[in-house]
Amino acid sequence: MAWPLLLLVAVPIVAGLGSLLAGRRRTVEVLQCVSAVTMLASAVLVADRVIAGGSAAVEGFLHTDALSAWFDLILGVVGGTGTLYAVGYMGESMDRGHLPLKRYRQFFCLFDLYLAAMLLAVNLENIAIMWIAIEGSTLSAALLIGFDRSKEALEAGWKYIILSSVGIALALFGTILVYYSSEHVLGVSSEALRWSELYRVAGELDPAAIKLAFVFALIGYGTKAGIAPMHTWLPDAHAEAPTPVSAMLSANMLSLAVYAILRFKAVTDKTVGPEFSGSLIIVLALLSLAVSSAFFLVQRDYKRLFAYSSIEHIGIALLGFGIGGLGVFAGAWHLMNHALAKSTAFYGAGLVFLRHNHKSLERVTGLLDQMPLAGTAILVAGIALSGLPPFGLFSSEVLIAAGAYTAKPDVAYAFLALLAFAFATLLYQVLRMALGTPGEAGTAPGRQCRIFTGAAVGINLVVLSAIGLQVPPRLEPLLASIVTLFGAGIEVPR
Amino acid sequence: MMLHAVLLIVAQTIVLLAVSPFIVGLIRKVKARLQCRRGAGVFQPYADLAKLFRKQPVVSSTTSWIFTATPYILFASTLAAGLLVPVFVSQTPLNFAGNIIALVYLLALGTFFLILAGLDAGSAFGGMGSSREAIVASLTEPAMILSIFAIALTAGSTNLSTIVHKTALLEGIVTDPSPHLMAFAALFIVALAETGRVPVDNPATHLELTMIHEAMVLEYSGRYLALVEWAAGLKLLVFLTLIVNIFAPWGIATSLAPGALGLGLAVYLVKVSGLAVVIGVIESMFAKLRLFRVTDLLGVAFILALLALVFFYVLRG
Amino acid sequence: MSLLSQQLGSQMVNLGSALLLLTCFAIVAQRRLTACVDMFAVQSVLLAATAALVAFLTGIHHIYIAAALTVVIKAVLIPRILKQVVERLNVTRELVMNVNIPASLLICGGLVMLAFFITQPIIPLGFLLTRDSLAISLAIILIGFFTMIARKKAVTQVIGFLVMENGLFLGATSAAYGMPLIVEIGVFFDVLVGALIIGIYTHRLQDAFDSVDTTKLTTLKE
Repeated sequence: MAWPLLLLVAVPIVAGLGSLLAGRRRTVEVLQCVSAVTMLASAVLVADRVIAGGSAAVEGFLHTDALSAWFDLILGVVGGTGTLYAVGYMGESMDRGHLPLKRYRQFFCLFDLYLAAMLLAVNLENIAIMWIAIEGSTLSAALLIGFDRSKEALEAGWKYIILSSVGIALALFGTILVYYSSEHVLGVSSEALRWSELYRVAGELDPAAIKLAFVFALIGYGTKAGIAPMHTWLPDAHAEAPTPVSAMLSANMLSLAVYAILRFKAVTDKTVGPEFSGSLIIVLALLSLAVSSAFFLVQRDYKRLFAYSSIEHIGIALLGFGIGGLGVFAGAWHLMNHALAKSTAFYGAGLVFLRHNHKSLERVTGLLDQMPLAGTAILVAGIALSGLPPFGLFSSEVLIAAGAYTAKPDVAYAFLALLAFAFATLLYQVLRMALGTPGEAGTAPGRQCRIFTGAAVGINLVVLSAIGLQVPPRLEPLLASIVTLFGAGIEVPR
Repeated sequence: MMLHAVLLIVAQTIVLLAVSPFIVGLIRKVKARLQCRRGAGVFQPYADLAKLFRKQPVVSSTTSWIFTATPYILFASTLAAGLLVPVFVSQTPLNFAGNIIALVYLLALGTFFLILAGLDAGSAFGGMGSSREAIVASLTEPAMILSIFAIALTAGSTNLSTIVHKTALLEGIVTDPSPHLMAFAALFIVALAETGRVPVDNPATHLELTMIHEAMVLEYSGRYLALVEWAAGLKLLVFLTLIVNIFAPWGIATSLAPGALGLGLAVYLVKVSGLAVVIGVIESMFAKLRLFRVTDLLGVAFILALLALVFFYVLRG
Repeated sequence: MSLLSQQLGSQMVNLGSALLLLTCFAIVAQRRLTACVDMFAVQSVLLAATAALVAFLTGIHHIYIAAALTVVIKAVLIPRILKQVVERLNVTRELVMNVNIPASLLICGGLVMLAFFITQPIIPLGFLLTRDSLAISLAIILIGFFTMIARKKAVTQVIGFLVMENGLFLGATSAAYGMPLIVEIGVFFDVLVGALIIGIYTHRLQDAFDSVDTTKLTTLKE
C-alpha cells in the first residue's frame, strides 16, 4: 500500500465533505488547513517514492508512474497553497457580510471535491475511469465558476459547461475508440483500458483506430485545456470565477487536461510514431500562441489578461511536447513553473479585487506601494510569466525554441516571433500595475486574510525561486522517465 | 403475348379508374368516424362524379385553350402513370414504354398543366394556388427521385416491374431493412404532399388562406371538374399503389395465372384500403402546417431519402 | 450462432441504430420543446432496446444493466426534469434559430456522410454484429453537437448534449460490446449529475436574465 498516494486522493474528499457538515466556520478552516498541508506533504512523498522505486500503486486502482508523479507535484503543491489562499479569500468575503456560512461551507465542499477529482484523475490507471474523474472535475468546476450568481458569472459558467461537456463527450469517444482497438489484443476486460497495458501492446494496436482516437482525445481534452480554437470559455471562466477558483482552473485544470492528452499521445506515438500526434499538437499550439498574443493588447481586465497568458503558456508547453525529445523535458518543466507562477499571479489579482472591487486594468497602478503582498506577487509572477530569468519559464522556453530549431526551423521562427510579442505586452502591463503611484484607496483586507493569502503567496514564490534556473537534481530522474515514455531517452541537460 | 398485354392494359385501367373514387370515399369516411360523425357512404364520390359529368360546364370568357385542355391532359397523364406501376400483377402493361423516371415526369406533367390552368383564368385565388403548388412540387421532386433511386439501387434496376418482382420473391435484394424503411418514410411524406393531403394541404376546405390544390381548380365546373377530381383520386391511388407494391409487394401475382391474378387483386385491395385508413387517421391527428413550415416537412423527406441512399452504400460495403 | 441468424441479428442491430439516427433528425426538425424532450425519451428507449438486443445476441449480460439504467435515467428521469424546466420557464417553442430547419437538416445529412467517411478505415476492425453502428454512433454525436450550436434555447442545447451522450453509449455498445460495467455506471452517474447541474443553471439563468435564450448572454467578449 502506498499511504501517501491514498492520503493525497482521500484527504481532500474527507475535508470537503467534513466542511459541508461542519457547524462552525472555525472547524472548516481547521479542516482546510489540514487538507492543504496533507496535499503538499503527500504530493512530495509520492514523488519521492516514485523517484526511488519507479512507481507507486494502490493495487488495481491507482498507479503512479513518473508522469503521474510529476502532475501530482504540480496539483498537490498548487492545490495546497490554493486551499490556504481560499481560506483567506472566502473568509474575507464572509467577514464583509457578502457570504453566509451555508454558502461558505458549500464552496469548500465543491472546491475540495474539485481538487480531489483532479488528483484522482492523474493517478488512475484506467483511461475510462480517468475520464469519469475528469468529468467530475468539470462538473464541480462548473458550479464553482457560477458561484457568485452574478449575470456575468452565470454566463461564464454556462459557456464553460456547454463547451466542456461537448469536449468531454468527444474525449469519451476517443477513449471508446482506444478500447475498440485494444480489446482485440487484450480481450474484453478492464485490462484493455489500463494505460500500462496499452503502452505494452501499443505496437499491435490498429493504427487507423488509434489515430482517430487521438484526434478525438486531442479535440476533447484540448477544449478543457483551453487550446485555440476551443479556448472561448477560458477567459470568461477565469475572469468571473471566485479568484481561488481562477487560480486552480489555470494552474491545475489546464495541466490536468494536458496530462490526459499526453496519456493518449504516448500510446499513439508507440503505435504510429511521434510525427502524427506531434504535428497536430504543434499546429494547435502555435494557433493558441497567436490567439493569446492577439488578445493581450486589447484586455481591459487584469484577470482576463492572466487568463490569456494561460492560453499562451499551455500552448508553449504543448509545443514542447509536440516537438518531442528535449521538448518533452522542457514542456513538463514549463507546466510546473507555469502552474506556480500563474497561481501566484491570480493570488495577487484576487487581493487587488478584494481591495478595489473592480477588475479594470487601467485603474490599477502602484501596487507595490499600496499592497506590498499583492504587488510582489504580481510583479514576480509577471516577470516569470514573461519568460525572463531567473525563473524556470525562461529556461524551458529557451529549450523549446532550441528543440524546435533543430527539428522544425519554421516552427521555431513562428514561436519566437509570437513569444517576443507576448513578452512585451505582458511585461508592460505587469510593470504598469506594480509600479507608479497608487490611484484609489479601496478597503484593505483584514488580518486573517493577509495571513492565509500571505502564506499561499509565500510558499509559491519560495518554490518558484528555488527551482529557478536549474532543475533540482532530485527531480531529474522523473523528467528523464517522462521523456522515455514518449520515445528514446535523451541526455538530461544541466 | 400481344393479346395478354392489351388485356392487361384494359384490366389495369378499369381497376384504377374504379378503385380511385372508393379510396377517396374511404378516407372521408374514416375521418368522419374519427370526428364522431356518420359521414357519407364510401361510394359517395361515384355519385358526385356522375352528377358532375351530367352538369353543363361554365368556362370563363378570359381563358385560353389551356384551361379546357388541362383536365384531359391531367387525366390522361395520371392514368398513363398508373399504367407504369404494377398494381395486382408484378408485370406492368406499359413496361416497354418507360421506367420509374417516366412515372415521375408523367405526374409532373399533369401538375405543370394544372399550375398553368390555375393562372389561366386570371383570378386571384388561382394564381395563389398555382404559386403554392409550384413551391410544394419543386420541393417534393428531389425527395421523390432520391427515395425511388434508393429503392432502385437495392433492386439493381429502375424498372418498376423488376423492382416489385424481385422484392416479392426476395431475389437478389439487399435485405437490410434500414434503407427501405427510410425510403418508405420519405416516399410517404412525398405522397401526402403531392396529393394535397394534411399536413401539407387540406382537401376538405376552401379556406382561401390555406388551400393549394382547391384554389387552382376553383374555376372548374361540370365535366371538367369531374375529370380533375377523378385525376386527383387517381394520383392518390397511384402513390398508394407505388408505396404498397414497392415496400410490401407480398401477395402480388407474379404470373398471369387466373388464380394468382384473383388473389393478387384481393390482396391489393386490402393493402390499399389499409393504407387509405392510415392516411385518414393521420389527417385526423395532425393539423395542417403553415405554408412556410411545409419546407421543414419536405426537408425531412429529402434527408430521409438521402440517408436511405447513404445507408444503402454503407451497409452493402 | 448460425450464419443466417447472425446476419439477421446484425440487420436488427442496424435497424435499431438507423431508427436512433432518425429520432435525431426528428429532434432537429422539431420546434416544440416538449416534443423535443419526448423524442429524446423515445430515442433513449430505442437505444436501450438496441443495447438489450446486442446483449441478447452476444450473451454479455452486463449490457442488460446498462440498458436498464438507460431506460430509468434517460427515458424517465431526465425527460421528467426537462419537462419541469420547460413548464417553469414557460417557453414552448424555439421560434428563431441560428440555422433554419431545412438548412439544419441538410447539414445533418452532411454530418452523417462525414461520420461514415471518417469511420470507414476502422469499420473492418469491428465485430460483425455491430460493425455499422459505430459510424451511426459518430453521426449521432455530431448531430447532437450541431444541435447545441444551432439552437438558442438552453433546453434544446441540453437535449443536444444528451443526444451526444446517447451516441456515445451506442458507440460503446457497438464498438466494444459495452465498456466494463464500472465505467458504464460511472458514465451514467456523470451524465445524471451533468444534466442536474445544467438544469440548475437554466433556473439561475432564468432568474438572472428573465430568459433562457442564450443569445442574451453577451456581456462577456474578447
